[in-house]
Amino acid sequence: MRYSVSEWTKSGSPWVWLNAGAVAICVIMVVGLLGLIAMRGLAHFWPADVMQATYTHDGQSRRILGEMVQQEMVPAEQLRGAGIDVPAGVEALRRDLLKVGNRDFGSADFVWAMDQGISDKTHPEMIMAAERLEWGNFYGYLREVRQDGEAVARHEGHAKSAEYMAVWDEFQRRIDRVLDIREQILDIEKHKIGSINYELERLRLKERSLELKQSTDADAYAEIEARRAELNTDYEVLQQDLIDLYTQINRDSFTAEIADGREVEIHIAKVVRAFLPNNMGTGDKLMHYAAKLWEFLSDEPREANTEGGIFPAIFGTVMMVILMSVLVTPFGVIAAVYLREYAKQGFITRLIRIAVNNLAGVPSIVYGVFGLGFFVYFLGGSIDDLFFPEAKPAPTFGTGGLMWASITLALLTVPVVIVATEEGLARIPRSVREGSLALGATKFETLMKVVLPMASPAMMTGVILAIARAAGEVAPLMLVGVVKLAPSLPLDGNYPFLHLDQKFMHLGFHIYDVGFQSPNVEAARPLVYATAFLLVVVIALLNFSAIAIRNHLREKYKALEM
Amino acid sequence: MTSEAKTHAIDISSMQRDDRQLNLADEEITLQVKDLRLSYGDKEALHGINMDIPKNRVTAFIGPSGCGKSTLLRCFNRMNDLVDSCNITGQILLDDNNIYDRTVNVADLRRRVGMVFQKPNPFPKSIYENVAYGLRIQGINKKRVIDETVEWALRSAALWDEVKDRLHESALGMSGGQQQRLVIARTVAVKPEVLLLDEPASALDPISTLKIEELIHELKDDFTIVIVTHNMQQAARVSDYTAFMYMGDLIEFGATDALFTNPEKKQTEDYITGRYG
Repeated sequence: MRYSVSEWTKSGSPWVWLNAGAVAICVIMVVGLLGLIAMRGLAHFWPADVMQATYTHDGQSRRILGEMVQQEMVPAEQLRGAGIDVPAGVEALRRDLLKVGNRDFGSADFVWAMDQGISDKTHPEMIMAAERLEWGNFYGYLREVRQDGEAVARHEGHAKSAEYMAVWDEFQRRIDRVLDIREQILDIEKHKIGSINYELERLRLKERSLELKQSTDADAYAEIEARRAELNTDYEVLQQDLIDLYTQINRDSFTAEIADGREVEIHIAKVVRAFLPNNMGTGDKLMHYAAKLWEFLSDEPREANTEGGIFPAIFGTVMMVILMSVLVTPFGVIAAVYLREYAKQGFITRLIRIAVNNLAGVPSIVYGVFGLGFFVYFLGGSIDDLFFPEAKPAPTFGTGGLMWASITLALLTVPVVIVATEEGLARIPRSVREGSLALGATKFETLMKVVLPMASPAMMTGVILAIARAAGEVAPLMLVGVVKLAPSLPLDGNYPFLHLDQKFMHLGFHIYDVGFQSPNVEAARPLVYATAFLLVVVIALLNFSAIAIRNHLREKYKALEM
Repeated sequence: MTSEAKTHAIDISSMQRDDRQLNLADEEITLQVKDLRLSYGDKEALHGINMDIPKNRVTAFIGPSGCGKSTLLRCFNRMNDLVDSCNITGQILLDDNNIYDRTVNVADLRRRVGMVFQKPNPFPKSIYENVAYGLRIQGINKKRVIDETVEWALRSAALWDEVKDRLHESALGMSGGQQQRLVIARTVAVKPEVLLLDEPASALDPISTLKIEELIHELKDDFTIVIVTHNMQQAARVSDYTAFMYMGDLIEFGATDALFTNPEKKQTEDYITGRYG
C-alpha cells in the first residue's frame, strides 16, 4: 500500500499527531516539573549519611565531617584562574559540596572541596548529627553529658560500643526532658502571656478612647486600672514560672568532639533532635523522615525561615484563599445575574463585558498597587479615623492585612467568576424559566429557586478558576499584607478570634523569601523546592475540594438534556 | 407510522365521546378575546382575533406552523410579556376583567391561568418538590396541606400510583411521558381556572400521548382547557371546540364535530382534508 502525502494530509492524521504531540509535551512538562520539585524538596527530609574523610588541600590535611550534598564538574580553566594547581591535560575536575554544619565553630556550614583531595572516606556509625534552634546542624562525636556543669556520663573513642550507647541514651533522655520543658515555655509565652498582652493592649486602647472622648467617668478608669493590676499580677506569676523553667532547661549540656579535634560544649536546651545517621536502619530513617515532614508541615519557621516548618504560611495561604472565595462568589454572581438577567442588553452591557474581560488581563501587581492605595491607605485609613482613633498613630486597618489582601485578590479574580456565571446562566434552558413563571413565580423567585441553583455548578467552575489564580499570586500580596514572618496566626483564641487586620505569611511569598532573601542560600535551597511542592499540593487540594462540590451540584442539578 | 395508526385506533375506541350536540351559544364563557392584535417589532403576528373560550370545555387551536396559534395561547397568561419586542393591543377578558389592564398582577394571573409546554420542563428537584413548587411560591408551607395537595395533583394527573414510592427522587429520572404528566400535576396543584396546553404531546411516544389525551378528558370537569396541536386527529379526539387559524387570522371556530364534518370555510376544509398545511 502506498499513500501520497496529499492523501495523508487529507486523512487528518498529521493533525491528530500534532495534537497528540502537543498534549504529550504538556503532560511531560507538568509531570517533569512536579517530579523535579517533589524529588528535590522531599529528599531534603531524608537523613543523609555523614561522611568522615581527610581533605588535603594546598599541602595541608585536615579531617572533615559532613554530608555530601552535590557534586559538579568544574572546567580546569576556571580552577587555574582561582589559583588551584591543575595538571596539564585535565579538562575538568570534580568538586563536592559538603554540608559540614557547626557554623558556630567554623567559618561556614557548607564548603566546596576538590574531590581529588578527599581521601579515607568512611561512614563511622557513631557520628552524631544534631539539629539546633540556632547555628544550624551540628556534627561530631558525643563525649560527655553534663548536669549543672558536672559530668554525668563520659566516653572516649569513635567506635560503636556499649559505653558510647549508654552516654547516647543518657543524652536522648535529657533531650526529651528539654523538649518537654520547651513545650511548657512555649505554652506560657505564646498562649498565656500572649493573651495577657492582648488584653492589656485592649485595655490601653479602651483607656485611650475614654481619654479621647474626654470622659470623666472615674469608675470606668478605675475598672480598667483594677483589671490591669489583676493582669499584671497574673503576668508576674507567669514570669516567675518562666524563670524557673528557663533555669531548668539550661541545666544540662553536652560536649562533643568536632572535625578539628576540639571538644566543645553546647547546651542541650538548644537541641531540637539528635541522631546517629550512619547507625540508622531503614525503619529508623523512615520514622525520622515522617517526623521531619510533620515538623515541616506543622511547625513555625526558625533561623530566618531556613529551618523548621512552614505551618503559618500554609495557614495564611488557605485562610486568604477561603476569605477570597467567600468575598468573590457573591460579588461575581450578583454582577453576573444583573448583567445577564436584568440589564437591558445593548451597547452599555457590551461595554461592561469588554471591561470585565480586560480586567482579567491587568497585571496583578497593578491590583497590588491599587489595593495599597485605595484599600489600605484610603479605606483602611478612613476606618482607622472613624473606628480606631484610640490606636493611632499605630494603624489598625490602615496597613496591609489579611482582609485587604483577600479583597485585593477578590478584585483580581472577580472577572473569572462573572464570566463563568454568565455562561452558566445563559445555558439554563428557557423552558425551565417559563415553567416557573407559568406557575405564578415572579422573575426574582424564578431566579432564586430554579435558575441560580441550576447555574451553581458554573459558579463553582468560576470559583475554581479564581482559586487557582489567587492561590499562586504573590506580587500584589507583597504590597497588601504578606510578611516574611508573622508573629501570630490570623485565627487564634483571643476575641474576636479572626484577626482580619493582621499581617500573615503566604507560601508563594515564602518561596521568594527563602529562595532569594535568605542569608544561607545552600541551606535554604531544598526548602524552596519543598515549599513550592507544598504550594502546588495546597492549590491542588483547594481545587479538588471545589471540584468535588461542583460535581456534587452537577449531579444534583443535571441539565435537562432532551 | 404503523404504530401510530394503531394507537389511534385504540384511542377512539377507548375514549367515551359526548354524543350530545354542542353549541357555543349555550356555553358559559371564561375567556373572551376582543380584537387582539400582536406584533413582534414591525411584523404583525395576530391580526385582530375575536373569540370566546367556553368554561369547562376543551378548546383546540389547529392550523399550519406559524399561523399564530401558540402565540395566541401565550397571550392568555401573558407569556409574551417576556419577549422584548412584543406589542399587544386589544383585550382578553378573564371573567370580565381585562388581563392586560395595568393593575393586573402578572404572577396572580399566571396562577389562575396555568400552562404546560411542548417539551416536559420539570425542575431539577424531587418529584414532590416539583409539584409543591407553586404552593411554596404562594407562601404555603404547612406540610400537611402540601402533602395533601401533592397527592391530589398527582392523582389528577394519573401519576400517583407510578411515583408514590419515589416522591423524593429526582424528577429528571422519569420518562418523558411521566415528566409531562408531572408538569401537568404541577400546574394543576396551584388550582388554576384555565389550563393552557401548548402541544403537550408532540415530544412524546404514542402510548404517552394516549395517556395525556385521556388525562385531558378527565381534567375538563375541573378546568377550562385550551390546547394547541399540530395533530388534527388529536384535536378531533380530545376537544369539544376547535379553532382553525391561518396566517394570524382566526378562520373558523365552532364545535369540533361540526368543524371537522362540515366546515363552513373553504380554507378549513382544505386544511383538514390535507390539501395544504
